[in-house]
Amino acid sequence: MASIDYPLERPKVGTKDWGFAEHMYDWVATVDHKKLGIMYIVSALLFLVIAGIMALVIRTQLALPNGHVVAPDTYNRLFTMHGTTMVFLLGMPLVAGFSNYLVPLMIGARDMAFPRLNAFGFWIFLFGGFLLYFSYLGGSGLYGAGSAPDVGWFAYAPLTEKPFSLGHSTDYWALGIIVSGIGTIASAINVIATTFSLRCPGMTLSRMPMFVWVMLIDSWLILVAFPPLTAAQIMLLLDRYLGANFFYTQRGGSAVLWQHLFWIFGHPEVYILIFPAFAILSEVIPIFSRKPIFGRPAMVGAVVAIGFISLGVWAHHMFAVGMTSYANSFFAASTMLVGIPTGIKIFNWTATMYGGKVNLKTPMLFCCGFLLQFLIAGLTGIMLAIAPFDWQLHDSYFVVGHFHFTLAEGLVFGIFAGLYYWFPKITGRMYNEKLGKWHFWLFVIGVNLTFIPMHFAGILGMPRRIYTYQAGRGWEFWQFSATIGAYIQAIAVAIYVWNVVHSAIKGEPAGDDPWDGWTLEWATTSPPPEYNFEKLPVVRSSRPLWDLKHPHDPDWKYE
Amino acid sequence: MSIEDQHGEAGERTQQTHIQLPAPTFFPIVFAFGVTLLFAGLLTFWLVSFIGFLVFFVGALGWWRNVIPHEDHELVSIEPEHRPAPVMVETRSVVRLRAGEQAHRMRIPIEVHPYTAGIVGGLAGGAAMAALACLYGLVAEHSIWYPVNLLAGVVIPGLGHATTEQLRQFMAGPFIAALIGHIGISILVGVVYAAILPMFPKYAPLWAGVLMPLFWSGLTYPVLDIINPALNRRISWPWFVICQLAFGLVGGFFVARSTHIKTLQSLPMAERAALHYPTEQTSTTKDVH
Amino acid sequence: MADALDLTADALTLEREWKTPDRGTVGIIFLIITESVLFLTFVAVYLVYIGASVTGPYPKDVLETPILATVCLLSSSLTIVAAEWALERNRIGMFRIWWLVTIVLGLYFLFDTGMEWKKLIYVDHLTISTNLFGTTFYSLVGLHASHVTVGMIFLLLVIGVNLLGFPIETQKRRVKFLSWYWHFVDAVWVIVFTVVYIISTR
Repeated sequence: MASIDYPLERPKVGTKDWGFAEHMYDWVATVDHKKLGIMYIVSALLFLVIAGIMALVIRTQLALPNGHVVAPDTYNRLFTMHGTTMVFLLGMPLVAGFSNYLVPLMIGARDMAFPRLNAFGFWIFLFGGFLLYFSYLGGSGLYGAGSAPDVGWFAYAPLTEKPFSLGHSTDYWALGIIVSGIGTIASAINVIATTFSLRCPGMTLSRMPMFVWVMLIDSWLILVAFPPLTAAQIMLLLDRYLGANFFYTQRGGSAVLWQHLFWIFGHPEVYILIFPAFAILSEVIPIFSRKPIFGRPAMVGAVVAIGFISLGVWAHHMFAVGMTSYANSFFAASTMLVGIPTGIKIFNWTATMYGGKVNLKTPMLFCCGFLLQFLIAGLTGIMLAIAPFDWQLHDSYFVVGHFHFTLAEGLVFGIFAGLYYWFPKITGRMYNEKLGKWHFWLFVIGVNLTFIPMHFAGILGMPRRIYTYQAGRGWEFWQFSATIGAYIQAIAVAIYVWNVVHSAIKGEPAGDDPWDGWTLEWATTSPPPEYNFEKLPVVRSSRPLWDLKHPHDPDWKYE
Repeated sequence: MSIEDQHGEAGERTQQTHIQLPAPTFFPIVFAFGVTLLFAGLLTFWLVSFIGFLVFFVGALGWWRNVIPHEDHELVSIEPEHRPAPVMVETRSVVRLRAGEQAHRMRIPIEVHPYTAGIVGGLAGGAAMAALACLYGLVAEHSIWYPVNLLAGVVIPGLGHATTEQLRQFMAGPFIAALIGHIGISILVGVVYAAILPMFPKYAPLWAGVLMPLFWSGLTYPVLDIINPALNRRISWPWFVICQLAFGLVGGFFVARSTHIKTLQSLPMAERAALHYPTEQTSTTKDVH
Repeated sequence: MADALDLTADALTLEREWKTPDRGTVGIIFLIITESVLFLTFVAVYLVYIGASVTGPYPKDVLETPILATVCLLSSSLTIVAAEWALERNRIGMFRIWWLVTIVLGLYFLFDTGMEWKKLIYVDHLTISTNLFGTTFYSLVGLHASHVTVGMIFLLLVIGVNLLGFPIETQKRRVKFLSWYWHFVDAVWVIVFTVVYIISTR
């Protein structure tokens, strides 16, 4: 074992004699936060494409009444894997990827606090994803035909218990997520330690970029929200492997307990997922409005408030379970309460744009799209927080429409804004603005055509997760237009992929600071060197680059 | 190495030729793969777990040797051809707006009345209103207790069935109920006056003295049957409106003549939260072209 | 600040006076926080399921309070502090003695847990699948025991490499973090002990 060795002297970066092996070694053995960040983002986008194709199959199946595009079993697996992939293998690596790439650059550090743990976190996340997808081959044990998990992304008990879910497909779901969850926890601890310990001189907490603040609170939420899920999954595995009785209703166990544990994780999780979008908006909107962010302390306060209030709202997913009216009232009230800090953020972003010199480049377009779409998502969220309203629409397509508005239109819009905004920094080249605008407008049309009709289908009584439906219930039009919208989204994403690949190879060189930025990552080259900064910077205000660009009118005179 | 070589302004160049960074290592991926195989064995075959344990062990050992006794580092050379362009000084000028300057939107009200003025105004207005109401009782029903008992009908539903004769008598319970209710509501309305009067455009006395009472009377008219049926059956609306106007004029006068105090609205949040002592200037920035 | 600020001098002052917390300290604190939430979940589930068993055996019939093991584990928190104290002053001999005492105390705790489980399984016929008490008891106590085991492996590694000649005094910081973890495991035991052996046996 001691014979395993590695070259201490690496070949110099960029020299011509780099073969495939050197490139592989460079990426596999790297502990560089930027490379790991890129790998996180790229693998997240790959999973986005996979889960997106699943969504397309689901939409095709539902386009017309009495559809038979896929078998019913396959359909159950598709929506399970679509949801699981989007949440755990798209959303989580994007959190880790963005914070990995940007946090050290923004706080003026050379790397993350624990570089090796960082690499470990990425790889175990990826292997966890592979393990989950291996279920397509080995879900019934290696000898049987493959079967992916088919119990829904929240895997309600007692459907997941041994008598109702044979084979190993549910075990793949639990273990795949536990394994990739280890990586998520590792990366969250790393972000927190980096933020607290590696800030460059002068970078006090009150001067830290909003992006770093939001990712810090996001990591905190990960640390307190993931263990309940891991615990619940361990209990489920104990039930399935050792015959324990946690969720076994026949022997006194409680299926509702699973729901509690899952949503104690699950609701903070949606904030974990949306926080990167919040973080990106808080950087992009000021730059493209040429104004510092409006109400910075209130923005930080709102994020911190969400970081705590969101831990106490989980049971609004369970109004239909039959809790006491006190519990229903409490969770309805707390859910509305968490809308307040979110509203503060929306107002402050809008106020940042107000009176600014707004420049509608693609990143800014996506931010504007986010504001409108996420506002609608928030409003339907408040509607669903009202317990009697939820009783009417629980488990209907209204709910599907609502959470796709928050995630597909909120999170994904924010992520695209970030991907366009930092594309020149990551690749050193500029994306194609024209294709970016095509992407944006097609995507806006696509998502709204997909998800607005879902609300109507839900109000008309269409339950979620159904395999097919009969004609004459008034759902056909809404379902058909949702399918059309899904294909338009697919075209938009295809344009994006082409834009990225083409621009990364042949795009115009972007220069170090194409957006006239104010945070530290724009002070280094594009792409940044391995060491990020030759000298670790010293900062005196929350806009260090502004200070350097305006030596006669620096921010620190006013802060 | 001196501090000057390691720290400086963002994008500044150093005299060093190399920078120390954590060395690349593939043990994290080996370790991660081992952990995954350990779990995968649960799903497939025990031998997978066994192999996973071996891989895990190799990864752990390698990782251990990476960091103990000292964390591995490598020296990355600085490539002069890949240096960031110097930060360009911008010539555009910037105007920093200060709170209170012309054209700077202020949040209103800038000045408010103290709450004590509201309490005093409410009590004074309440007294005026009560006096007029008692006068009405004396004129119309020959009893000052008549309006008192009617008012108490809000909280004592039994009074709805009382005869007019009974309502003329003094009753201790309804008197106390009416007194508490009247004083309490008067103070509350007075405080509301103090809070919102500064937000109204000009002619605060008009608003407080005339329009608010009329508004309040209009609001009361359709709902009085629900909250106080006894009063609704016997009420004299002209007198009711006159009593309200008396409250509004007296209360509004007392509130309006109080001294004004400045709000913290125009100060930055840090100062309002007492995190900073007030500074001379507060600013928001905005590019001007 | 004045307008004419000497930026270079200012940067040097900033750099010299700049203090951030140690990354290892932050990391271990948040690791402990996230582990606490994991334990909290299991403790909460244990509390929820008290009295929910459909069949026996019940806690008050079969559980014996492990006083000695508890004393051992809790006092090991003191001995590891003593070991750290000795290491701080480079008294390696003292360090080894206290460290070994810690290990022995921890091992006795694990041994006692093993004996308890053996008795519960073979004498009382309580397994993880018997009833909800068995399910929650073995998972909560087992989760704690697994953490003690992980801590024990690291304790053994430290003394092992030290006895083989590794200069442990170069690793004071890491030894400190290990001892924090050990304190955490002990503190969790206080909660587990209260919940399992006091509250649920009533």
